[in-house]
Amino acid sequence: MLTSKRLILAHFWLAFAAFAGALLLGEWQMFIRSPLHAWISNPEWYYRSVTGHGTAMAYVLPTLVAMGFGYFITEAALKRPLIGRAWAWVGFGLAVVGTITAVIPVALGAASVLYTFYPPLVGNPFYYIGVVLVVVGSWIWVALMSVNLYRWKKDNPGAAVPLAMFANVAGSYLWAWTSVGAAIELLFQILPVALGLRTTIDAGLARVFFSWTLHAIVYFWLMPTYIAYYTIVPRAIGGRLYSDSMGRLSFILFLVVAMPIGVHHLFMDPQVGGGFKFLHSVFTALVALPTLLTVFTICASVEIAARLRGGRGALGWIRALPWRNPMMLAIAFSFVMLGFGGAGGLINMSYQLDAVIHNTQWITGHFHLIFGGAIVIMYFAIAYDVWPHLTGRALECHGLIRAQLWTWFIGMMVLTFPWHWVGILGMPRRMAYYDYTDPALAPQANWVIMSVIGGAILVLSGILFLAVLIRGHRAPQIDPGPYRFSVAVHQPRRVPVALNSYGLWLSLMVGLTLVNYGFPILHLLTTPGTDVPAITVGAQK
Amino acid sequence: MTHDHEPHGEGAQRAERIERRWATLSVGIVALLIVMAAFAGIHQATMPQPVLETADPRTLHIAGEFTEANLGSSLEPDGSVMVRAIGQQYSFTPACIVVPVGTPIAFRATSADVVHGFLIDGTNVNVMLVPGYVSTIATRFETTGERHMPCHEFCGTGHEGMWGRIRVVDKATFQEMATRHRRLSCVDQ
Amino acid sequence: MSIEPLFTFRNRWFTTSVAVTAGLFLVAALAGFLWLPSLQSNRGQAAEGAGGIWGEICSAAGVFRPGPAKSVTKPDFRGTQVALTPTLLKGADAASVGRGATLALQCSMCHGARGLSEADSPNLAGQHPLVIYKQLQDFKSGARSSAVMEPLVAKLTDQDMRDLAAFYAYLPRAPWNIPTDAPPPRIVISGAPVRGIAPCGACHGTLSMKPGAAWLDGQSPVYIRAQLVAFAAGTRHNDIGQQMRNIARVMTAAEIDEAARYYAGAQQ
Repeated sequence: MLTSKRLILAHFWLAFAAFAGALLLGEWQMFIRSPLHAWISNPEWYYRSVTGHGTAMAYVLPTLVAMGFGYFITEAALKRPLIGRAWAWVGFGLAVVGTITAVIPVALGAASVLYTFYPPLVGNPFYYIGVVLVVVGSWIWVALMSVNLYRWKKDNPGAAVPLAMFANVAGSYLWAWTSVGAAIELLFQILPVALGLRTTIDAGLARVFFSWTLHAIVYFWLMPTYIAYYTIVPRAIGGRLYSDSMGRLSFILFLVVAMPIGVHHLFMDPQVGGGFKFLHSVFTALVALPTLLTVFTICASVEIAARLRGGRGALGWIRALPWRNPMMLAIAFSFVMLGFGGAGGLINMSYQLDAVIHNTQWITGHFHLIFGGAIVIMYFAIAYDVWPHLTGRALECHGLIRAQLWTWFIGMMVLTFPWHWVGILGMPRRMAYYDYTDPALAPQANWVIMSVIGGAILVLSGILFLAVLIRGHRAPQIDPGPYRFSVAVHQPRRVPVALNSYGLWLSLMVGLTLVNYGFPILHLLTTPGTDVPAITVGAQK
Repeated sequence: MTHDHEPHGEGAQRAERIERRWATLSVGIVALLIVMAAFAGIHQATMPQPVLETADPRTLHIAGEFTEANLGSSLEPDGSVMVRAIGQQYSFTPACIVVPVGTPIAFRATSADVVHGFLIDGTNVNVMLVPGYVSTIATRFETTGERHMPCHEFCGTGHEGMWGRIRVVDKATFQEMATRHRRLSCVDQ
Repeated sequence: MSIEPLFTFRNRWFTTSVAVTAGLFLVAALAGFLWLPSLQSNRGQAAEGAGGIWGEICSAAGVFRPGPAKSVTKPDFRGTQVALTPTLLKGADAASVGRGATLALQCSMCHGARGLSEADSPNLAGQHPLVIYKQLQDFKSGARSSAVMEPLVAKLTDQDMRDLAAFYAYLPRAPWNIPTDAPPPRIVISGAPVRGIAPCGACHGTLSMKPGAAWLDGQSPVYIRAQLVAFAAGTRHNDIGQQMRNIARVMTAAEIDEAARYYAGAQQ
């Protein structure tokens, strides 16, 4: 029932094109700030590159993957054509225009403020306008997901929403709400300054608004990955999903507790009270809960696949798993990286441990391992799984796919483990170069070189990924048959209304956001004298 | 949790039992983490700054506690040391901070322009400097020697050159310095 | 098929989830706003004068308070009194340039008729207005000392200084050619990170501009060298927050020389 194949392919290709460019920038950054390269002759190029890399990887890639995958799920899971395809193209058009609008000032060095914006630094307005356009495009997607589900529910009263669609719409609602923080920061704080309407900005308040977006956005990035865990992996490796309701519960928990936790990015900031820092720390710990539930359910589902293939014993079944199946490799690698990254995340969430590593290279290592590793490797797996259904051609090169997944995993481990370590040694983030001849920095030199090697492996893997997809467009035509999602061991026909709708959970999400963010925001808004002069970057010489 | 599923018999009930056990264990793990964080906070006394204050970055150098002559380390009547510092594109002032070993140290710092931050190598000192607000942090150094104090937040094209220093000296040396000046630093050494 | 109502106390999902969420929030809030702050204040880490349970709750919530009143050490020299912001001089018009041209007649002896000096005085043509305005203010207030400048600025009003700044900013800059055979010296494009020297070019235009920093291209090498030496020695101290003294103090004589010669460029 896929009728919007071109739409979905367009989203995936825009996402992966941005990914490819940003991947090269990333490795270039690793290289030029390592001991392998002399100090760069213009450090501004480095910050320009970091801005481009972050913007493409954090805003364009995951948003476009979530949108494209969301349209795919809508048609494949609800088994009917997408309602509002023209609007979906409008959303895509906004994303394309936004990406180009943002990239140009960045490339010209007129907006080297990094993708986290950092007011009172203010760059060229077109950079921010571009980012806003991408976000507005994604809001159209949110609306379409909602409309499609609403119409399906009307036509199927009381039926259980397929898990993939339930999770997909949960992800879109999470995104709608979490993007509000950065949208307020951009529209009401930064853009008026960038356009010359105002000259001052409250940097502390801007950081609070950005933290509203900055943490929950990670769970938005994570949604396609978790949807793949629950609704693709068990089917792809020949098993069953252990529990459908556990899946629903996990996505609901993300919806409720992913939002009111962003202040843990501001633990070391002087504009938020200690009480709110503790409150957000507690809810940050809670967000580990849906992940722990997911790990259990998916491990159990994988075990089912192994036992169906004749696996025996307490752990002996692991050998019976279809290890040559790309999806099996992807889920295994993803879980390993999620495990290490999650353990690192638990360190970041506690105020005391965070003090050791805040704004060091540890943090960069952490989110590359979680996002670039655990999450993005499942984006690859999703692409491999849905490509034949989109192109009507087989993806035959399984050897190449396995090589791609292996190199991504190895590259990411080699990249991020040294990165974590130099962070513990006290290496600060976001610097164009370091003086490795200094005795205090010398011990970091070799670790940084290891990271460069890891990055090079990732570039190789990224090339393999694109090669597989491009070959997929030229392979012989096949009939892939209807797309199937995983079936649960006990497939529900009816679920409690709480697990089949969002009203309750959205209320809790908004309520918790208001109590956890309301006072800090209102207090900063009403405190006079906290606006500071904006400093323009890339100004004329 | 209750499930209104169609009955699936014994298998479903068993699965649900195992799930519930795992969910309980997960909740336990999370609770343990929270308790550990609270415990560490109490017993190691690294806590967020207790009181928030504002400061106008435009006039730091004209009046108030962050004027140039008032920056640096001072010996307080209770024997502790107060360090006042600012961050600006692209240096900290004082560029070299001097403190005594084994003494409670309180930092008060702010930014004169954009967002900065600093950490001190080999310690848990780590703080953001946001223009408009005053950051405070309490610490104590147990060994003498010189450490780096880099800016750890992107603050513009010169960010990579924004490295301060902190020199931890023995108590007698610091006392002797304090008899000569009210505000101390090690920028001229 | 009827759908069970969700938002009702008879629905266990509703009651349980709301109760658990509210309970968690309350417990976390009690710990964060009451228990931990009280422990902190027992350790003497709380603010003075913020006593009482409400004081602790407000502090934990992040209510801003005035800082502790402490005696402030008086400086033994006069620092700059200019509150510099990027938009301080916004709104200068052609009339301002015209008035500035008239006023500048008395400056042309040293700074040249078109703002280009032939006597190792700074070139002012095309200089950022903030720089000229701030130096004039500092000469007048005594934050920067110069036997020549002090009598000349004594009678200038704030508007005069704005006009002079507008006039000199309007003049075309000195011809300046980057020597093509050699890259800029390391101190200009890389600085010396662990010594705390950001690249000169990060503020002075080669790489990017910092508001209030001077445009140096084509400036007299003698002048640049003299200012760096004066900053290093502390005899010049009108830079806000020691931003130049911090740098100049740790520059070597060779680095000062390289920077001065590089910015002097074709005028060598």
